[in-house]
Amino acid sequence: MVDSTNQTITQEAPPLDELKSGSPPFTSLVQQLTQVVGQANILYNADELLVYECDGYIVDKSAPDIVIFPTSTEQVSKIVKLCNQFNVPFLARGAGTSLSGGCLPIGGGVMIVLTKMKQILEINLRDRYAIVEPGMVNLHLTNALKGTGYHYAPDPSSQGSCTIGGNIATNSGGPHTLKYGVTTNHVLGLEAVLPDGSIIELGGPTAETPGYDLHGLYVGNEGTFGICTKAIVRITRDPESHRTMLAVFQTIADATRAISAIIAAGIIPSALEMMDHGIIQAVEEAFHFGFPLDAGAVLLIEVDGLEIALDEEVRQILEICESCNVREIQRADTPEERQLIWKSRKQAFGAIGRLSPSYCTQDGVVPRTRLPEILEFIEATSKKYNMRIVNVFHAGDGNVHPILLFDERDQEQIQKVLEASEEILEKCLELGGSVTGEHGIGVEKINFMSRIFNETDLDTMETVRDIFNPRQICSRDKVLPQHQSDEKAGVVQSHPARRAPH
Amino acid sequence: MSPTHSGSQEEFVPASQTELSRFMTDNTAAAQKQIFPVGGRTSLSVCCPASQSGTLICTSQLNRVIDYPVRDMTITVEAGMRLDQLNEIVSAEGQRLPIDVPQSNRATVGGVIATNTCGPRRFSYGTIRDYVIGISAIDGKGNLFKSGGRVVKNVAGYDLSKMLVGSLGTLAVISQVSLNLRPKPETMSMVWFAFDSFQNADRALEAIVTSGTRPTAVEYCNSKAARQIAAESRSELPSEHQVVCVCFEGPANVVNWQADQIREEWKTFSPLSSQIVGAEKATKLYNAFTEYQTSSDDPVTLKAVLLPSQMMKFVEAASQLNIAVQAHAADGIVFGHLPDSASSLEDVQQILQQLQKAISPQTGHLTIYQCESEWAESLPLFCSAPSGWALMQQLKNALDPDQLLNAQRFSELVEA
Repeated sequence: MVDSTNQTITQEAPPLDELKSGSPPFTSLVQQLTQVVGQANILYNADELLVYECDGYIVDKSAPDIVIFPTSTEQVSKIVKLCNQFNVPFLARGAGTSLSGGCLPIGGGVMIVLTKMKQILEINLRDRYAIVEPGMVNLHLTNALKGTGYHYAPDPSSQGSCTIGGNIATNSGGPHTLKYGVTTNHVLGLEAVLPDGSIIELGGPTAETPGYDLHGLYVGNEGTFGICTKAIVRITRDPESHRTMLAVFQTIADATRAISAIIAAGIIPSALEMMDHGIIQAVEEAFHFGFPLDAGAVLLIEVDGLEIALDEEVRQILEICESCNVREIQRADTPEERQLIWKSRKQAFGAIGRLSPSYCTQDGVVPRTRLPEILEFIEATSKKYNMRIVNVFHAGDGNVHPILLFDERDQEQIQKVLEASEEILEKCLELGGSVTGEHGIGVEKINFMSRIFNETDLDTMETVRDIFNPRQICSRDKVLPQHQSDEKAGVVQSHPARRAPH
Repeated sequence: MSPTHSGSQEEFVPASQTELSRFMTDNTAAAQKQIFPVGGRTSLSVCCPASQSGTLICTSQLNRVIDYPVRDMTITVEAGMRLDQLNEIVSAEGQRLPIDVPQSNRATVGGVIATNTCGPRRFSYGTIRDYVIGISAIDGKGNLFKSGGRVVKNVAGYDLSKMLVGSLGTLAVISQVSLNLRPKPETMSMVWFAFDSFQNADRALEAIVTSGTRPTAVEYCNSKAARQIAAESRSELPSEHQVVCVCFEGPANVVNWQADQIREEWKTFSPLSSQIVGAEKATKLYNAFTEYQTSSDDPVTLKAVLLPSQMMKFVEAASQLNIAVQAHAADGIVFGHLPDSASSLEDVQQILQQLQKAISPQTGHLTIYQCESEWAESLPLFCSAPSGWALMQQLKNALDPDQLLNAQRFSELVEA
């Protein structure tokens, strides 16, 4: 079924060889899975599977052997039980927007794609919650709430395509999480199919539920605790009004001083995003927003709340920016102008395609006050490796996203990307931060876990994971290194011949 | 309320988390004494653990600031730090931890996390679970583990802090915590409204959903609780009626605008009277609302957590049983102090049965929040079994295999 010779993971795996494509057990599994979901909801031909060989993290690839599209919790449960019966690993996938290889089917197996489970099951304004299926696209929930005075607050940059189930798996953030918090702050409860196929409910629509906060523990498990099949999420009042601004700075140092000063002044903007010189050029080239091409950095600053409060907040922010040598400030005076500014930020990643055939987005975090140091280090790393690195990130949270531009066709460049990324993330740790603020550990950063956490920490996490996933048959080889003494527990490219298109 | 840990008990006061870890390891290996972690001893009766012999682990010496990078608005402290001490430190920098805690001069950070204590402000600011960004703790085997870190955004590894919030010291002893902080608002005010019908009060509460204002807290109390809260705070609450108090925080002009606005909006719900209370008196009233959940000498305090839309049905049933009721109304969290007439276990059980009828499993649950220790073993601590109970048991067994940590608090859940 899977050629496991090109995997570096050495953990005991189910006997996949018995299930090679075309073998009797494989055919039997396909037949039984087809009975569960119907012929139209299952893929197992090699060319169809290639689409699912990686997510947004393209450095590692590994195709699943079967891709299946359930439409109900009961179907998910039956699929998982069959996987157990056939001793085949499985994992869930939403829209595949993970940037750390969270959806990488290491060793193949069954990929359970939840995009057909996308219904809104309930919206309750009085009690401020919504119940949705996991394949619901994040933005679609907010769109469905339009006109009610409420929205769903977590808004990753990929919110137009990422799913709420995926957001729960990774505890996603986004620009507005500076003020409103990340996904875990907005999940009241969930339903999940555990790795043995049983269905469980954790938490609920009320403010609290008795016993341990298992739904809180579940959020951010990166798919290793089972498959979320229903989510009860908090919905948030729309702010009465916004003020959105673009502050243009000559240097990154001035921009980062402004970030720190705004927070220190006791102002919590609803968003505080930075784009550096490189990303400004890419965005301008792609979308022609009118950004000054010679600017060192641009800050997207948004405050929201009651109309009566905003002008004073804006006045304070302008004053702080002035004191930090701001070059100019553009204000969005109409909803259309605001939308345009946000489009520039949210589509920045799309613009990268004009700069390079491939890119790798990192996700380091530093204390807000250490932003100048990490940005200097990123610049130095760019020079050291002779590799272009651009930055667009959630500055208010100290969550940097250096984007390393490279050509996937050149093995040497891939190696440089890995080394440069590693050095940047090491620096984040050295500055008191973390290697991931919102993308997750996945497979990409698994070798960092033993540098962040000691053996006891990892043992405890492993103990907790094993309660949910004792056989590690679900989303295996993610988050926790197999052997804590292993220096590197990643995966090599399963399909080294495949290249990114020009 | 009688003290809970009334068995034969010794006390251990560790000076560091290493010392605590060593003690726990040794205890697991040899003595196997029951361990009862205590912070400020303000919540020993919460969730009614039965008396038992063992060792109290007192965190009073674990009270240091480890790191306070002011401009990052985060702080790392040892778990035994008292809430008032913490707030005094961060207040000097114009910051705060926006969690309301009864007896904050005694309550500790670790205790607040273990009990998931919160108050009126949870409506706008959430609970302590939303502020813990990193945690260290020692499990029943003596293993010192951590999760999270000191930055406000971090998803490396599993969020074990969530597992510990509200775990009542049954999984591990919390030793060190990193917290996210918020700016301190310029001022606050409160507007109270008196209602003579449950229906009108409920209609007003429903209107919060679409109000032009953004309250930081919405408190409800029936007339019996209103009398007690008015006396406690020396405030002029309309103590013959139900009262809804809406609280605002922020810049003075914004707070004042909202106070006027809510009075205008709620005219339509026919309040008997209403009044704006300025910052100084509002603070006293607000503190009384915070303290009320643990303030009573009555033998039993109930806690019901309901959907806000279902809350008034429960409140009406409780009021008819002469129970003093206070609620964090917009969150559907109700505290009820049983009347003196509920003097026997049988009386209490009968009241519980009647209240349970006002709650469906889909819309809420009822717990005994505090009671006389001699009744603890006889009352249904949690009136409905929590979902995920089997996983909770496994978690408990994995982190505390010898059942040494506050075991009875957890086992009471089994009886549900």
